[in-house]
Amino acid sequence: MEAVLTQHLDPAAPLGLEAYRGVGGYRSLAAAFDLKPEAIIKTVEAANLRGRGGAGFSCGVKWRLRGVDAAKPRYLVCNLDESEPGTFKDRHLLYGGPHQIIEAVIVAAYALQSERAFIFVRGEYATGGNGLKRALKEAEAAGLVGANIGGSGFDLQIDVHLSAGRYICGEGSAQINALEGRRPNPRHKIPRTSIKGLWGQPTTTNNVETLVNVPHILLNGADWFRDLGINGGCGSKLYGVSGKVQHPGLFELPTGTTARELIFDHAGGLAEGRSLLGFLPGGASTAFLLPEHLDVPMDFDPVAKAGSRLGTGGIIVLDDTTCPVAVALNLMRFFARESCGFCTPCRDGLPYLAQILAAIAAGEGQVEDLALLEDLCEKIAPQSFCAFAPGAVMPLTSSLQCFREHYAQHIATGRCPFGKANEGGL
Amino acid sequence: MSKLQELEKHLAQLPPAHPERRAAVVPAMQALQTERGYLDDAAVEEVARLTGLSATEVEELATFYSLIYRRPVGRHVLLVCDSLCCAMNGGKQLLTRVEQMSGVSLGEVTADGALSVLPSICLGLCDRAPAALVDGEALGPLDEFALAALLQRLQGED
Amino acid sequence: MGTIRIDGRDIPFEEGDNVLKAALAAGVKIPHFCYHHALGSLGACRLCAVEITPKETNKAPQVVMACLEPAKDGLQVCVSAAAARRAREGVIELLMTNHPHDCPVCDEGGECHLQEMTVDCGPPYRRYRGRKRTFPNQYLGPLVHHEMNRCITCYRCTRFYRDYAVGDDLGAMRLRNEVYFGRFQDGPLDSPFAGNLVEVCPTGVFTDAVFRQRFTRVWDLKTAPSICPHCSVGCNTLPGARDGTLRRVRNRHHPEINRWFLCDRGRYGHQYSEHTARSLLPRIAGASISYRNALTSAAEHIKTAGDRLGGLGSAREDLEGNALLRALMHKLDGAYAAFSDPALESAMAAAIVQRQGTAGASSLAKLASLAEMEQADAALIVGDLTGHAPMMDLALRQAYRRGAPLAVLHSTPAPLARFAVTALTVSPREMGARLSRLSELVADPSAASSTQEAALADIAARLTAARRPLVAGVVETLAAPEIVALAQLAMALDPSARLVYALPGPNAYGAALLAPAGSATAVLEAVEAGRIQTLIVAGNDPLGDARLGPRWRAACQRLDALIVLDCVATATAQAADILLPVAAWAERGGTFVNYEGRAQGFAPVFQRPEPLPTTADVIADLAQALDLALPDVTAALSDAIPGYQAPIPGTLGSPIPVSPLPAHIDVATRPESGPWQAALTTWYGDDPLASFAPALMELAPAPAARIAPAAASNAGIEDGARVMLRGPAGALALSVQLDSGVAMDTIALARATLVQLGVGHGDPLDLEQIP
Repeated sequence: MEAVLTQHLDPAAPLGLEAYRGVGGYRSLAAAFDLKPEAIIKTVEAANLRGRGGAGFSCGVKWRLRGVDAAKPRYLVCNLDESEPGTFKDRHLLYGGPHQIIEAVIVAAYALQSERAFIFVRGEYATGGNGLKRALKEAEAAGLVGANIGGSGFDLQIDVHLSAGRYICGEGSAQINALEGRRPNPRHKIPRTSIKGLWGQPTTTNNVETLVNVPHILLNGADWFRDLGINGGCGSKLYGVSGKVQHPGLFELPTGTTARELIFDHAGGLAEGRSLLGFLPGGASTAFLLPEHLDVPMDFDPVAKAGSRLGTGGIIVLDDTTCPVAVALNLMRFFARESCGFCTPCRDGLPYLAQILAAIAAGEGQVEDLALLEDLCEKIAPQSFCAFAPGAVMPLTSSLQCFREHYAQHIATGRCPFGKANEGGL
Repeated sequence: MSKLQELEKHLAQLPPAHPERRAAVVPAMQALQTERGYLDDAAVEEVARLTGLSATEVEELATFYSLIYRRPVGRHVLLVCDSLCCAMNGGKQLLTRVEQMSGVSLGEVTADGALSVLPSICLGLCDRAPAALVDGEALGPLDEFALAALLQRLQGED
Repeated sequence: MGTIRIDGRDIPFEEGDNVLKAALAAGVKIPHFCYHHALGSLGACRLCAVEITPKETNKAPQVVMACLEPAKDGLQVCVSAAAARRAREGVIELLMTNHPHDCPVCDEGGECHLQEMTVDCGPPYRRYRGRKRTFPNQYLGPLVHHEMNRCITCYRCTRFYRDYAVGDDLGAMRLRNEVYFGRFQDGPLDSPFAGNLVEVCPTGVFTDAVFRQRFTRVWDLKTAPSICPHCSVGCNTLPGARDGTLRRVRNRHHPEINRWFLCDRGRYGHQYSEHTARSLLPRIAGASISYRNALTSAAEHIKTAGDRLGGLGSAREDLEGNALLRALMHKLDGAYAAFSDPALESAMAAAIVQRQGTAGASSLAKLASLAEMEQADAALIVGDLTGHAPMMDLALRQAYRRGAPLAVLHSTPAPLARFAVTALTVSPREMGARLSRLSELVADPSAASSTQEAALADIAARLTAARRPLVAGVVETLAAPEIVALAQLAMALDPSARLVYALPGPNAYGAALLAPAGSATAVLEAVEAGRIQTLIVAGNDPLGDARLGPRWRAACQRLDALIVLDCVATATAQAADILLPVAAWAERGGTFVNYEGRAQGFAPVFQRPEPLPTTADVIADLAQALDLALPDVTAALSDAIPGYQAPIPGTLGSPIPVSPLPAHIDVATRPESGPWQAALTTWYGDDPLASFAPALMELAPAPAARIAPAAASNAGIEDGARVMLRGPAGALALSVQLDSGVAMDTIALARATLVQLGVGHGDPLDLEQIP
């Protein structure tokens, strides 16, 4: 497959407006303005473009359900708050090609008839965010953003919001609170943000990778997009592979590429003499998969069938030198640290889990700790307010299933079999 | 025009109760932090004045965000990732070495005021693990030699 | 609207209710923390887990949060389901991982919602072996004590303080299990309603700082239903006492008045009754004496005086004390008055006439309970409601939160102006004209003649457009004609318009019903002329009156005996020839008539080791010493207010029967001379009783001469300048504080300062800069 989204990325010297136009950039605007917004949504739906932020919900359906008669003004939020461990695809898009993002936001905003769009960039990506702001100025100066874009009658204001850290800001409704200058706690699911979002107005939030597909779909058609995928997948996907591999990196490949191909063909496999312990298929808040799952196509449904989630498509590889207890502890400390503190199960449950894991990792675990961990996981996940804690608990629950003997060994021997260095966690 | 002046100009055009005045709180904190290095109490009050929020409301956010500093930091802030991919690839040892080599513990400022080292959640640099970020510049994969050179550069240049 | 079925019981619900709200309303217990009737659902604590079986589908039962689950007809809810119980148990276990388990030393002990929930829902074991998170505490002022380690992060405090009471100096800092509820910096909480944190907090994070000075286990407190004596709203309270001393005051729910809350004056003002300056023994010429001897001496003075006798009741004295004093005067041909200031008496008469009408009045503006005030969709507020009736301010903050435009006309700084669409400063002298003009503009919106009138026209337009407009005024800072003008304004609006007056005292309404027209002038002049030889003052402080204090003091010099019945050391009590200390409010039963004309009874909460009589008791004892057959309190009240029936303490109270007042309205206009006029500026802690409450008084604003910046610059006065103020009673040097909440040509002064100068609200005052 030819690279689609990454074809013109260059983090060292991202294309300026003219250069970007020279490679066909912004061509989709004219195509979009020739169409009725509903027609674009129909095409996106037909392309089966699924949300790349992790949930995998159909972008076209999301847009259609927002409704053409939603109250005005309507807002579009492009989520570029990537913070999921093991995930770095949005960074490549941002640093490598800001104009591609702006083009996608314009087309999406037109399809949704949103008069204002926000690109929410995580604070750690400030350098990329500033590059995006410069690109936006160029686009504004060229009349690509602003009033009556290209004589289409469509007006759009784009704001780049540079955030200031915190994983929870990536959650859609928390992000809206952050944009409003409120504490970034997630909001209750009802009313939906698509009805009452930013400043109480209909707001559509899409991951940046999802959006950058849209201009290509528009230019090449839904069938072209569907055909990009393999093993039943649609479109291309930005996969990341990191952790214990020889050549970690970002790989744009057909949706549905297997984990085996990703890890061994593209990321160079494991270090000499190492074997695969397991992997997280799509960032920290997914369940572990095992070597037996290497041939599962990395697509939403097949990964779900295997008991995990495709998530962001950022694969984290563990080899046989990696202590899975130390891994679980590292993840749980991450989640406990990033909990917004709103609801009890997440705020007080995750540190509790981390405390037990720390004891086990240090060789101070007790036999009943495994049952306690499972009991707490079962209570925390369904009881919490937003999807953060269920995501946090998922890798632990699966780790307890996949690597139980490792936990038992820690407890039985009172030390970490992988060596003292692991005892304080990774 | 500085970021702060730009922001003041923007806010001056908004009516007092306009929702975007509150929405400017994060940019305002960032702009003041750019000027002062961190947000001292006076800066929190200044943000409150700009945004029409109370100092307590600003403090709620200043203490929430990881990249807003309410304590003094060095002229350079080195964020060292301690999340999974970096930690698996020597990030943990890196943090220990940074402390030893710079002579300050995490969260402290070197005696010359040049540097603070802070642990960070995943920086989105897992493909460059173990990674760090300093003044917006991504670093990785880092080893001890690269680290030594970096510290020398940061602490020596001023 | 429909019913849901909870554990086999049919529970009705209203449109928009959630399962928890419907259940609690029907008396079905579902454990919860963050939900609060007044604050609504949040979904943060996750304790109210219940199992539901949707009726319309064949879905399996699922565990949901009762507070977030909309009540739908036929919904099956199971609180006792194993899955729901397990979920609740999990929440408690998690909350307990950081809770310090310091119950034996916690001030919340005995009324801790967390403890109750833990016993009801929690596991009987602890499994957590880690360290607990700890916090430093903040100094939040003299009223509320902070102990953050106990926090379970239910967000009730910030939701009350910020969302409900619209304060901005308490917040949720940080994140994860380090969320910290506090202020930006240590310091007293700004809100007049901060004390409610003590009650909304489900555990011991915010506790009563005054109570903990003389703490007692709450189960050792004696309580009885009482009524707040600190303003005319009549909030229902539950004072608690032990060992013959009053320890604290809590809210007692009244669905139409205070509901779940109290203001800080009401909660902390009670310290007056334990003040060291309070005399608990009768005194004659300053020397302590037995009650019996004091009574004998007083009776002799009364006997000697014959009909040259006067009785001055009070807006702060209960109905019983006023009625019996009045009966005694009738019996002895003495003169009775309830107000020391004739202007206030006519203002009160005007307010009551507007409330209940005179014979032949055709229509009246309806009054509003606090609950109804909250429902206003536009409001005009004249004066500083926060300083005179703080809970009315809280009610209007609810209207504001619902989007009602508020307009405030004020002479002195008014906290409600912060929430107003239009806030105009108007000097006391101009207030009448401004109100009349507003009435004209309501009648004819196009009549606005100048751009200066645009603001008034805007207020008129908003009031006219409203379906539930409210007009509120402060009687103490309005003259009678202005009170009438306000009522006329209300009547010109929608027929559903409401009218409320903040009255000058907890029983101002009742006192005014008993006071004959012109009685204040009559009594004052009679004392001055020597026609009254012995004056009995019950709960009043004529010598401490801002405008007439000096006149009263001079007049009282002529008395043969000034007999004072009071529970605080007022100027008058200190000047008494015979002082008869009476029971403070929590120490006695009685009745107050609140601003609505609602008579509410209160029961004695406790007795002091040496029990003190009530005012009515003292008068009855005097009558006995005089061998007089005085009617008892019930008869005296029936005589004064035909149809009166005593309300039972602990009930919702009853409307006081309409007893037509002679519509005597003193139309004396405010004096016009001089460039500067004085204005009374108050704050939420300002009332004659609460001024003896030490903790609350720590928060009193420092005395200053507050002047509008424009007026100051016209006069060449700078902020902080020293000025000399001169009034009939004396001169006083003060610092100037510029305040844009003060009207032009007006000097806003605290009550005590006005008394020192001998000027009332609206009176002329000389100002001279001190070089």
